[in-house]
Amino acid sequence: MRVIALCESVKSSSANPFEVDILDKIAVLRKHLPEWKFLDELLLDSEAMLELAQILKLQDEWLKHRASSLYIDPLLIQFKIKLISKDALIEAFVRSWHPLVQVDQLSPKGLEKAFVYWNDLAPMSERFKSEFGNYGVRPGTIDFDDLLQLRIFTQDQFEDRLSGLQEELLSKSKGDWVDYRGFIARETFEEKVVRAYLLAFLISEGRATMKTDALTGQIWVAPLSKKAGGTPKSVAVSIVGDD
Amino acid sequence: MESTDRALLDRKVRKAFQTLILQRSRNPGVKGWELKRHLGRDYRKIIEVLSEDIAPLGLEVYEVKGPEGTDDTSRFLLRFKEPPSISEAETSGIRIDDLAVLAASVAFVNAKQGRVGRRELEQFLREKFPKWRVEYSLDRYVKRGYLEQDDKMLIHVGWRTRAEIDEKTLMTMILSRGSNEVAAP
Repeated sequence: MRVIALCESVKSSSANPFEVDILDKIAVLRKHLPEWKFLDELLLDSEAMLELAQILKLQDEWLKHRASSLYIDPLLIQFKIKLISKDALIEAFVRSWHPLVQVDQLSPKGLEKAFVYWNDLAPMSERFKSEFGNYGVRPGTIDFDDLLQLRIFTQDQFEDRLSGLQEELLSKSKGDWVDYRGFIARETFEEKVVRAYLLAFLISEGRATMKTDALTGQIWVAPLSKKAGGTPKSVAVSIVGDD
Repeated sequence: MESTDRALLDRKVRKAFQTLILQRSRNPGVKGWELKRHLGRDYRKIIEVLSEDIAPLGLEVYEVKGPEGTDDTSRFLLRFKEPPSISEAETSGIRIDDLAVLAASVAFVNAKQGRVGRRELEQFLREKFPKWRVEYSLDRYVKRGYLEQDDKMLIHVGWRTRAEIDEKTLMTMILSRGSNEVAAP
């Protein structure tokens, strides 16, 4: 851990990387290697080796820099920068500066290409349809009129089934609460969804009521003899195929 | 050289010039692999011809080696062959104070073996420049590629400094400033 911390501190500062004696640290790691038994210890050992390799790379860069003609005693250059005037500093910079040349504007050819691209570009909803389906269409709500339009129900069938379900709930309940999931359960998922929808309609109409237990997640329903008043509350219930 | 070959070469040199001078991305210059794609395998020869052609205009094509040192990763740029005068530099759109910050930063980073902590550099620059200018200028130069800042907040010399600034000349110039040019106490 100490080897890692030392390497980290050298890496994250402009300190001389030769302050780390790599051979000595490798000898320390080699000495302790047989003592490591657990995976965490071995991982730390390999991390220390990696850190030492990175210090070696820094030492290589350091040597190259010192060998280059750019090496000047840091203290001397700091002293000079502090000492000389701003104008002299600017002049030194400008006399070693070769500004880049480039044109930062649209060309007629570029504009033409962009125009062709824009014309050929399909709308967003079309472009990602094959990959993501109906991209951009949010999940919506379906109401009774939609169901009639989709011919899932006719008006008479709906009323009949609604009354039938209310009677079924009355007979099962006998004045007590009935388990919601047990009540809507059917062999097929489609039938279960239809019963859940009809029951939701009964509850919305105030012909039945619902209560939930936040701790257990259990839901109960009960029929009402007369329409309930008060402020209605929304309860989100998910129904999946395996329920 | 036959006239058809000459015409082909002229066309390729023109294309090379247009490729180099038009800014294609946020960073100026064109990578070696892009030039190969635009001009063919002999792109270096075409670049040499272009460099000779633009010399009378005071320009040159300059190569900055990429981190891998391969031809493909090298960045080719058009730049001034000779440094501008002070008055020309003043019209470049960069504030003269900002240039001084950059000059001091590059010299300081080089003096510190090519890497220095951002805080240390800020502290050094604050002796001559106000805090807000130091922070603003450093951020700007990191963004424009003159300086690089790594995840450990260490500042290195950026690729753009290597492209635009003759670091050896800069260091020599700073060291050669005489005592008559010292800052007022």
